[in-house]
Amino acid sequence: MSWKSKIHGRVWNLGSNIDTDQIFPGYAMAAPADKFKEYALAGSEIPDFARKVQAGDVIVAGENFGCGSSREQAPVALKEAGVGLVIAKSFARIFRRNAINIGLPVLVCDMELQVENGQEIEADLVSAEVTICASGGKISGTILASSVLETLEAGGLIAKVRNQLKIL
Amino acid sequence: MNQIERYLAIAAGKEEVHAGDDITVNVDLAIAHDITGPMAVEQFKKIGIGHVFDAKKVVFVLDHIMPAATVEAKVLHNVLREFSLEYGVKLYDKGEGVIHQVIAEKHRLKRGSILIGADSHTCTAGAYGALAIPVGATELAATMATGTIDLEVPEVCEIRIDGKLQPGVYAKDVILHLIGYFGTAGFTDQGVIYTGSLMDQLTMDDKMTISNMGIEMGTMISYFADPDQPVGTVKEVYPFQAEAIPASVACPPNPGIVVRASDLSSTKISQVVIGSCTNGRLSDMLVAAEVLKGRKVAAGVTLLIIPASVDIAQQMEDQGLNRIFREAGGMITSPGCGPCFGAHMGLLAAGDVAVSTTNRNFPGRMGHRDGKVYLASPRLAAESAIAGTIVTPGMVVPLGGLADELEK
Repeated sequence: MSWKSKIHGRVWNLGSNIDTDQIFPGYAMAAPADKFKEYALAGSEIPDFARKVQAGDVIVAGENFGCGSSREQAPVALKEAGVGLVIAKSFARIFRRNAINIGLPVLVCDMELQVENGQEIEADLVSAEVTICASGGKISGTILASSVLETLEAGGLIAKVRNQLKIL
Repeated sequence: MNQIERYLAIAAGKEEVHAGDDITVNVDLAIAHDITGPMAVEQFKKIGIGHVFDAKKVVFVLDHIMPAATVEAKVLHNVLREFSLEYGVKLYDKGEGVIHQVIAEKHRLKRGSILIGADSHTCTAGAYGALAIPVGATELAATMATGTIDLEVPEVCEIRIDGKLQPGVYAKDVILHLIGYFGTAGFTDQGVIYTGSLMDQLTMDDKMTISNMGIEMGTMISYFADPDQPVGTVKEVYPFQAEAIPASVACPPNPGIVVRASDLSSTKISQVVIGSCTNGRLSDMLVAAEVLKGRKVAAGVTLLIIPASVDIAQQMEDQGLNRIFREAGGMITSPGCGPCFGAHMGLLAAGDVAVSTTNRNFPGRMGHRDGKVYLASPRLAAESAIAGTIVTPGMVVPLGGLADELEK
């Protein structure tokens, strides 16, 4: 998968406290991997998200995005459904790491109140700056740690570990 | 350094570590279950290494959908069975119980050991002083290959609780009270050390209940202090008085919405769940049995009793608790996760209301998105089962057991 440091997409503004049960509900936990994307946000207020989302769309959220379970099905489902980036005021630890480890970029940036559903934004993962396309307004997020960028550039943790262990 | 930093330093082979340092630590045990394990196995195979770092230090437990409720769930079991045969790692596949209880019973780590688990409630092991860090499947796969994990040293806070709990107030109330106070993101990426004179009165079961729900405050590490060594320097100390902690209930839609049980207006219920890695141990079952003995579960209420392990189930049988539960109208299921995460064995429909001793009550957690879950102690849950509404401990069955009498 090719690494893109600039992500341009349409916003889904989800608000605060989106937990992993909403992102990937318990009843779907035994689903085979090729079906994960069908359950993206199936437990949320947008149960038909998987059918509406378009490739490259960006989730914007408030505090504590991804709180709860360690289920990696949650970020995988979002990524496979087409989500290109998740921006939140804050993330729960395990979700944040899972997303990075599977190559789904996340950015800490407080912009929940500044964008609406359907607006287009462009995010620069290196400078952590988000531009609202219509107004040209810019919002600064938290710069990603170099190790995080390395993981994203490698396409996820598995590729990074292969490099570490010198498996070619 | 504080106690968490001291043990992280040892695991990283360093003299000293400080908050914010990036370190690589050696892992003493890596664990996963039937939901996270198969993904970890798939990712591990992509790494392309022919063996796990140490076959004795990787353990899988079938607990989440055990026995398999669907064909898909059985496929996941088979993935782990095949992997365990091929790579020589231990698989618990006989319904031994919930992973955190099985690990405590069969693979109890010594203080300061590093436990990496692909389950958010891995933090349960902080009760006995393990540094227990929950991860996802890919990170677990990396650890299975390398025997290490890359971490940042967390900032650490101390929660100091002194005094004695009031009658009708239990370890579950302590942790619900703390989650209510600090919020569901109160300690994101941080470590928490529990100290104070209350700790001397808590049993290991109690400590596991408290440590289990650390993740509900966002913690990276929940850890009960070693009373024989200094706590060390922490970012902040939060003092609490045990007597001021009330019987508490976490209301939907998240574990951070905590109220005094006595402040809840009358709420009709249709299900009670007593069990899980939070409150499925023998002491929890004894409390519930004392309440339910000779009484009946209210009409319209399903009571599910779910032991956290087969050893606990055996003790329940030996001590006559199962007869008490069955005569009261309760169902005893096999050990495991059951309906806690909404996969099987006791799901809610829209409009259902459950009192549960489990750890989460997010929308849809136990079934339909409009089924509501209130989290509480086994005592409160058992009394509520009899009343058919959410009650405060003591309202259905007087609190004054012998232990309570001696307190007065």
